[in-house]
Amino acid sequence: MTPLRRRSLLAGLVAGAAATRRAAAAETIHVGVSGPLTGPNAQYGAQWKDAFDLALAEVNPAAQRQIQYVFEDSQSDPRQSVAIAQKFVNDQRIVMELGDFSSPASMAASPIYQRAKLVQFGFTNSHPDFTKGGDYMWSNSISQAEEQPQLADFAIAGLGKRRLGVIHLNTDWGVTSKNLFAAAAKEKGAEVAAAEGFLPGERDFRSTLVRIRDSNPDCIVLLAYYADAATIVRQIRTLGLPQAIVAVSSVYSPKLLELGGDAVNGVHVITTFFPDEPRAEVQRFVAAFRAKYNREPDTFNATAYDTMILASTLVNQFGATRAAVREGLAKVRGVPSVVFGSMQFDPNTRRVEGARYKRLVVKDGRFTLWS
Amino acid sequence: MGGAWFDYTVNGFVIGNIYALLAVGLALIYGVANLVNFAHGSVYVVGAYVGWAAITYLDTPLPVTLLCVVAVSALVGVGIERIGLRPLHGSSRIAPLLATIGIALVLDQVVQLVFTPDPRAVPMQVPEWRVAVGGGTIGALDLLIAGIGLTSAVVLYGFLRFTKLGWAVRATAQDSDAAQQMGVDVNRVNMAVFAIASALSGVSGVLVGMYYNQISTAMSFEATLKGIVALIIGGLGNVPGAIAGSLILGLTESYGIALFGTSYRNLFAFVLLIAMLVWRPNGLFAARRALPPEPMTGTFIARSRPVVVPRWAVAALVVAAALLPLLGQPYLLQIGANSLMYAMLALSLTLVAGTVGQVSLGHAALLAIGGYASGLLAMDAGWPVALSIPAAGLVTAALGTLLVFPAFRLTGHYVSIATLGIGEIVSLVILNWTGLTRGAIGLGGIPPLEVFGFDLGSVEGTYWLCLAVLVLLALLQLRLLRSHLGRTWRAIRDDPVAARSYGVSGDRYKALAFGFGGFAAGISGAITAHVYSYINHETFGASISILALTMVILGGLGNVAGAVLGATLLIALPEAFRFLAEYRILIYGIVLLLLIRFRPQGLMGTV
Amino acid sequence: MAPVLEVRGLRKRFGGVTAVEDAALDLREGELLSIIGPNGAGKTTLFNLVSGLDRPDTGSVRLFGQDVTGAAPERLAGLGLARTFQHGRVFGNLSVLDNVLVGAHARLRAVRPAVPVLGPLLELALAAIRPGGVRAEEAALREDAIRIISLFGERLTPRLDHPAFSLSYANRRRVEIGRALALHPRLLLLDEPTAGMNETETAEMQEVVAGLKRSGLTILLIEHKLEMVMRLSDRVIVMDNGRRIAEGLPQAVRHDPAVIEAYLGHREAGAAREPVP
Ligand SMILES: Nc1ncnc2c1ncn2[C@@H]1O[C@H](COP(=O)(O)OP(=O)(O)O)[C@@H](O)[C@H]1O
Ligand SMILES: [Mg+2]
Repeated sequence: MTPLRRRSLLAGLVAGAAATRRAAAAETIHVGVSGPLTGPNAQYGAQWKDAFDLALAEVNPAAQRQIQYVFEDSQSDPRQSVAIAQKFVNDQRIVMELGDFSSPASMAASPIYQRAKLVQFGFTNSHPDFTKGGDYMWSNSISQAEEQPQLADFAIAGLGKRRLGVIHLNTDWGVTSKNLFAAAAKEKGAEVAAAEGFLPGERDFRSTLVRIRDSNPDCIVLLAYYADAATIVRQIRTLGLPQAIVAVSSVYSPKLLELGGDAVNGVHVITTFFPDEPRAEVQRFVAAFRAKYNREPDTFNATAYDTMILASTLVNQFGATRAAVREGLAKVRGVPSVVFGSMQFDPNTRRVEGARYKRLVVKDGRFTLWS
Repeated sequence: MGGAWFDYTVNGFVIGNIYALLAVGLALIYGVANLVNFAHGSVYVVGAYVGWAAITYLDTPLPVTLLCVVAVSALVGVGIERIGLRPLHGSSRIAPLLATIGIALVLDQVVQLVFTPDPRAVPMQVPEWRVAVGGGTIGALDLLIAGIGLTSAVVLYGFLRFTKLGWAVRATAQDSDAAQQMGVDVNRVNMAVFAIASALSGVSGVLVGMYYNQISTAMSFEATLKGIVALIIGGLGNVPGAIAGSLILGLTESYGIALFGTSYRNLFAFVLLIAMLVWRPNGLFAARRALPPEPMTGTFIARSRPVVVPRWAVAALVVAAALLPLLGQPYLLQIGANSLMYAMLALSLTLVAGTVGQVSLGHAALLAIGGYASGLLAMDAGWPVALSIPAAGLVTAALGTLLVFPAFRLTGHYVSIATLGIGEIVSLVILNWTGLTRGAIGLGGIPPLEVFGFDLGSVEGTYWLCLAVLVLLALLQLRLLRSHLGRTWRAIRDDPVAARSYGVSGDRYKALAFGFGGFAAGISGAITAHVYSYINHETFGASISILALTMVILGGLGNVAGAVLGATLLIALPEAFRFLAEYRILIYGIVLLLLIRFRPQGLMGTV
Repeated sequence: MAPVLEVRGLRKRFGGVTAVEDAALDLREGELLSIIGPNGAGKTTLFNLVSGLDRPDTGSVRLFGQDVTGAAPERLAGLGLARTFQHGRVFGNLSVLDNVLVGAHARLRAVRPAVPVLGPLLELALAAIRPGGVRAEEAALREDAIRIISLFGERLTPRLDHPAFSLSYANRRRVEIGRALALHPRLLLLDEPTAGMNETETAEMQEVVAGLKRSGLTILLIEHKLEMVMRLSDRVIVMDNGRRIAEGLPQAVRHDPAVIEAYLGHREAGAAREPVP
């Protein structure tokens, strides 16, 4: 555990203790979290925790029903997420489940949550089939069906590009995104000149970039996460490719600047979360996050934060039972959200629409609004 | 396009150059200790983080950074030798290999706990000048890496040829027992070799970190894997060969991308691995020679007399297991069901790895085949689940046997590496054969378990179904083991040459074992697919293969009851360790190491 | 009638070493032919070539009138050829009884129907179902194996269930010969069956081999203990440096100057325990 994280845990404990003292009449409500604390995705579980603690420190003290989360480490492994699911559905205290991180781990557990009528809120599960698992599967993860046309618009209308070379992660998320992007690009009159899928963990993109180069694009589109994107952009620079680079919102992270260094200057990216956005929810979140953790939040933090605020809203507005949470998700309106501004669900898709996209460009080692 | 091919070639050399640093260390260790060191990639990660910490916290210049990395990595190497090799002298041949897997687990976890899994940027300490080569550029760091690779190969060569310790190393590599008799301190030699190889690995970790400006704890397995492939191409234990093998691997990957696209890169690497194993198992540069001789009888598995469990006790346990759902503990039951699904896999692997001696490191691929077969039959062909599951078992039996067929003439560690490669190939084919498997999107909406209209999707239903299937499979396997097949399989394991001389065709009986084992594993994968409702190419990955092997070793190679016990323990233990949160995988790794050290024949004894 | 074994012009090289050069021999039914010669003379290599474990560079091997040059050992075992190994290759983790039963593998009929393609699957099914025929066959083999084991008196019979790794060296050699006999061979190749045995054990083994010869079995024997060779052999071939340097009746060979020279020239060859007069 880093000093940082130890401090955050301590802060959480102190805040929690204080909260209990203040509102003696308050009731504690449990939500289960299934996510990675160890294994290859452990960093995301750690980010969730930070955001959850921040959200709870904000909402719990004033709330009648105070949320406490039970975090079970699944390593984002389906074998463990199904066991955790049984644990949660049979723990009558738990009224809602958050996670898992990866779609395979979430979707393996879905039948269990669906059967037990416990909401599984997969807030990072963008897999198009996740919410099709049943009417207890909900998500506020950004829908790629919404995001990809935005990205295509940035590249085509915004930057005036016509031949696009796409490099995408070869996972369910990456392939779905790529297909949606290609469709949107075609509709807007541009052409996908090449689409190259890479495996998670790959580091060497030189030959991939030669393929991209030889397809003669006027713009390179990255559908990846920030760590891979940093590597790819650095190699684009060492190969000396002159094309503009446009990237999807998962590339937006302070870490991109750290890992990419000077190379990422000039990279265009869309994002739903941007700390410099003047909107009140954003500013409050960013200030609180910086104060508590002494670093910049990213989209994962923002989504996890939104999710915990939502959970608190649900149990306080609609009641602290599983059925009430399920009902509440369909009815709730205007939940304040860093990512969406305000959140409501489409009861048919069980997803949120209307994320607010910002267009950014990296300038002098900083993300700035593009104009 | 001519220019492009030149670029692909340069890129192949650049990446091969990076693999070379890993492969040289692996080759050295294999050459002396006859061990494929699966912890090698973990040392590489340790080196990368030590370098990062030195630069970040102490502001060290490059030579000092490298010195720190060399010192710590060498120390880790010495530790690996002390824990993973020395105390296991004289136990089964597979024990050190497993110990290195356990050490890898522990090292990765420790690094992750200390540094968090967040990727880090490693500040570049090498001048940033670059020269244009073809359409790309080559930088100072490329040359430095190549320099270190070549220099270490040359220095190693000189060391092996012209120094006393080097002579001792070579003598040990030839025949460690004889070397010992001639007064060579084999332990000291091994220690020196592990230190040197690990230092190299650590240095490559930090240089590669600078190269990509990024390190993360997740990069160890990939590093080990690529190093091993390069090693095989160059010839196990052959240091200059390892460098050439690395370059060839880099070129193959680069040309693979050029011809078919990025997602085919690793497919090409692993197909090359299998091709090498089949046609030139000693590497490209070895003289045409038969495989190195395997040790004499009985050294393959730990000699032991298996624990005999009385029939009534087994019956009582089965009855108790059948009554478990009455306790009304669904979480427990889910763990039970998971254990049973894994027990089917372990049964399969204990037959193949234990009874027949083909230590497979790619067994999870059989789960994947079974899962996809049943899922696709149920979804696309509309078969009822009660039919699609046994059909998936048969498909897996046939396909699995066919796939490992090329590996049948290999022995020992070669089989393990070949099956590891075949497992990766299966996963990559699933990823790339989008038309059939839906590629990366995976199979979603697989119908739940149901037999003739009875819904078994509840945890009780799943549990009972798994228990029934497992008991049937176990009884069948025991029956086969008591027939002439049992002794025939074990004869092949103990001495394939003598077995052939008595008319036992290795191919035929290995095929039968893989067929029956494939059936059991296929059923397990199929049930898993219907329980999960969603699977993709990563659901049954390499880590599951290693887990399954651990189960089998824990229970006792070839031991049917042991396989079930091993599966139950290894599924239940991480759950029981849940309160340890971040530390549980670490504890699990340590338990594994202790087991290999103190009870190599497994809990129930090898059969 | 064709000779049991007919070897012509066999040659095998390992790198620069010529292990066997222009080997030739004929073996008639019921005959016991010994091959002697100093260590490294190529005797074991010749066995490996005959039994299919190695392929000859040139030359031919005919077994029971069939050309079997380069044939797989599995096939030769099916034809009735059994061999033992100089350094002993028992199946360490198998019991004594199972070791001997593996020797009978080539005799399995009921459980290994000779059906093309589907044969292996049928074998798996029959092993699982075990119909009467299969059970009877297995019981008969077991009885036969126990009888074979009893050829060694009380040496092995009380240890039927012991794993081979727990046996003494001499007992492992006995298990190996038992395994070979379980094949019901028409030709038996014995590679130094008494290596490492003391005098009593050697005498016992000599009796066993003599018994086998009396029963009409054709035997090719490699042996260093010359007394045993003289007593048992119908004919003797002497090899040195891969070549046959003498062949004939035991007594004649014994006094052949070339043989004496070969043995004296290899004085360090410890195996020639008996001084050659
Ligand atoms: N597999 C092999 N590889 C290389 N050389 C071999 C091999 N087998 C035997 N030889 C060599 O062939 C020669 C004959 O050996 P061998 O047949 O074992 O002799 P013998 O059995 O008469 O003692 C020896 O010089 C030996 O070193
Ligand atoms: Mg010999």
